[in-house]
Amino acid sequence: MSKEKEFISLLNEHQRIIHKVCNLYMDAHADREDLFQEITLQAWKAYGNFRGDAKFSTWLYRVALNTAITFFRKEKRQPDIFSTETVPDFNATDAYDPIEEQVKAMYAAIGELSKIDKAIVMLYLEDYSYNDIGDMMGITANNVAVKMNRIKTKLKESTQKYMTPA
Amino acid sequence: MELDELKYQLNQKLATDHASRSNADISALLKKKTHSVISKIKRSLIIEMVLCILFFAAMLYVCFITDYWSIRVYFGVFTVLTILMTFVLYYLYRRTDTLSNSDQPIKANLQTLVGLLEEFVKRYFQFTMALLPVCFMFSMILSYADPVEIPEIEKFSVKVFTARWQVMLFLGIYMIVLAISVYYFTKWYLKKLYGNYLNELKQYIAELDQ
Repeated sequence: MSKEKEFISLLNEHQRIIHKVCNLYMDAHADREDLFQEITLQAWKAYGNFRGDAKFSTWLYRVALNTAITFFRKEKRQPDIFSTETVPDFNATDAYDPIEEQVKAMYAAIGELSKIDKAIVMLYLEDYSYNDIGDMMGITANNVAVKMNRIKTKLKESTQKYMTPA
Repeated sequence: MELDELKYQLNQKLATDHASRSNADISALLKKKTHSVISKIKRSLIIEMVLCILFFAAMLYVCFITDYWSIRVYFGVFTVLTILMTFVLYYLYRRTDTLSNSDQPIKANLQTLVGLLEEFVKRYFQFTMALLPVCFMFSMILSYADPVEIPEIEKFSVKVFTARWQVMLFLGIYMIVLAISVYYFTKWYLKKLYGNYLNELKQYIAELDQ
């Protein structure tokens, strides 16, 4: 199998990772498309360095987050924040669902975090250990733990403003 | 409400909002152009190298066709400078190409990018500012050694200036104003292009260090 075919097949299998990063970092659909393209291209350029020491998913997370954090746009189409209105809602029904409401509020609160905090939350949601997150971010596991505590407190406070009283 | 309680649902939500791409879609994406800042720098360096080569050809042409010794020297020196500049730009291009490796840890990647951008901005500024005294000195020395008389300018200067010191004062003020304008314009231009972005990246590094 050629290198390109091998890469396309691997990326297709793991494209969920890129979509997650795009959804987390971009609000507007067109911006997500741009970021998806950029991450795919950067991953392809860096694929020559992939030696298979780490899992492909871990490597792809690193490339995707690096690209999302340093993504350079001259003009922003939309503010780079989420709101509860823009949260994807695929099972929308008229019935009030308290869990759905909480997820929406938490999603919106995550959207308010800085780009660095978003990266940490994303890896945490993927169940990476503090050591692994530290390796990917280039900081110590202790530093990750401290940051994670701060983020959790911040999210707890922020979600309150997005919750509509039942 | 804690983040941990909603881990599963958040993961589902983040992963579901997309249209899945086929192998053919991904293959088509690989043929598109990247818009990363590294690519922008590389494109800018290629354009500057092409411009340098065009200037080199134009100045070499002037060197050959002119009858004036001073103009030949002036353009000859700038032909050599342009060749040197092309090599400097090529070196920066190679370096940018080697350093643009996005699979490093996030902090290291940010530091590399900041280092690269700072060097690019510094060299660009240094080169622009260094050209000013070179141009001034050369035009002064050569116009003194081999004065070229252009009748329209002669007529104008006789009308406006009555003494030699007035001409010297005018030239002095002109050079100072031009140098100050170029200094602030270059600073503003580089800040507009990369300054805000650089500050943003530095802020991320500081945040990671906290």
